[in-house]
Amino acid sequence: MCGLVRAAKLTLSREASGSGAFSKGDVILVDSQHTPSLLLMREMGLNEQDVARRQYIVGLEATDLERIAGVRSLITEHVEEYASVFFDYLAALEEGRAVTGNRPVAERARQLKREHLVAMVGEQYGTGYVAQRLELALLYNKAGLELRVFLAAFHHLLKAIGGALLDHFETDPRRAFDTFMSLKKVAFFDIGVTVDAMVFERERVIRQQQAAIRELSTPVLQIRDRLLLLPIIGIIDTHRARLITEGLLRAIRANRAKVAVMDVTGVATIDSRVANHLIQTVTAAKLMGASVIVTGLSAEVAQSLVALGIDLTKLNTVGDLQGGMEEAEALVGYRVTSTDKRRGPAASDDASS
Amino acid sequence: MSVPILKQGDVLIASIQAALSDRDLVELRDEIAGRIGRLRARGVIIDLTALDVLDSFATRTIRDIACTARLRGARSVVVGIQPDVAFAMVQLGLSLDGVATALDLEEGLALLGTRQGSRAVGN
Repeated sequence: MCGLVRAAKLTLSREASGSGAFSKGDVILVDSQHTPSLLLMREMGLNEQDVARRQYIVGLEATDLERIAGVRSLITEHVEEYASVFFDYLAALEEGRAVTGNRPVAERARQLKREHLVAMVGEQYGTGYVAQRLELALLYNKAGLELRVFLAAFHHLLKAIGGALLDHFETDPRRAFDTFMSLKKVAFFDIGVTVDAMVFERERVIRQQQAAIRELSTPVLQIRDRLLLLPIIGIIDTHRARLITEGLLRAIRANRAKVAVMDVTGVATIDSRVANHLIQTVTAAKLMGASVIVTGLSAEVAQSLVALGIDLTKLNTVGDLQGGMEEAEALVGYRVTSTDKRRGPAASDDASS
Repeated sequence: MSVPILKQGDVLIASIQAALSDRDLVELRDEIAGRIGRLRARGVIIDLTALDVLDSFATRTIRDIACTARLRGARSVVVGIQPDVAFAMVQLGLSLDGVATALDLEEGLALLGTRQGSRAVGN
């Protein structure tokens, strides 16, 4: 498989590129062990079995391979011509400029497309072939080529090949059609891989953002010995409620916490489902011997909870974070005194003594 | 497998080390109820640190032990419930309502100690 991985160095400078599609990663370094396409293959779970399954899904059989072998020279001798069909079609479309308007990308894509056409009639459609498809898909994705544009150009290319096959088997249109359909199976195999890769790459951003949000959104902070603060901001759904609960329980164990203050000032709406999640979190913390004080239920939220008839009597609620902290400190055994003699609890202590 | 019940001052400590069958749990319940009277224990601590699952029967039996102990004049504390166990219990709707819980054995002993202390001061 590694033999098919071409150790290539492709430099794409922003100055050279006509469009601004390459905002980052101007230099793409490809080393033979960790090519982006091989990494992507691993991430997508495209192993030998999966590739074999994909072949089975499009119905690629031995007879197809025989038919393709019969027209191999027809394709390989006109590779340049077919590649031009694909890229000329792209160039004619405004949406295709993403690839054709950027010379380094266009040249690389053209080279890969030539290799693709040769490989298409090469009768080897294993993981090496898939790695090649992924490399091209990654290039399209980086250039910002839309899927619908790619599909249209690919269809155009197939049309050209189909026409050539008809001319070749002039006296036997049935054979021309069969051969074309065999090639089309390979083409659809390609489309499947390419579309999956392009979608997977786009979803990567979403996955990264989700992970970032998850990590950022559920901090558990220790503010005093055995006292935790759990500020919650945003929407609480089932998944996040689970993360909040798990994070709190682990922090209780790690910090030997006795009291946790859960501040929901930043939670805009609390419905029965969210209230239920809060109760579950509090109950679980209780099982571990820690009590939870919920603070920051706004007037609107409190009214709507009462109107909905949700019973929150199981929760120890305090109006604001300050009040919650004071109660929590009292529970853990702290008494906060002001060092300013003129005001605060310290002043009253002085007066009594 | 039977659970060893240790006596520390006037507190009984039952440390459950492995998953128990329903019969073991019932035996534990009867044993604790008997010993509270014989040893004049004022507190019972059930340590679940080593457990990674707690089913509905075990939950109910532990609740029963706590209620029985209260009737016999001893306070009980369940200690050492693991985060995963606590989460699973909440998800399954198993509750230990009316049973005191603490983080670990040390906390459990402290909880029983303060309660007894405060009663002494009250008298």
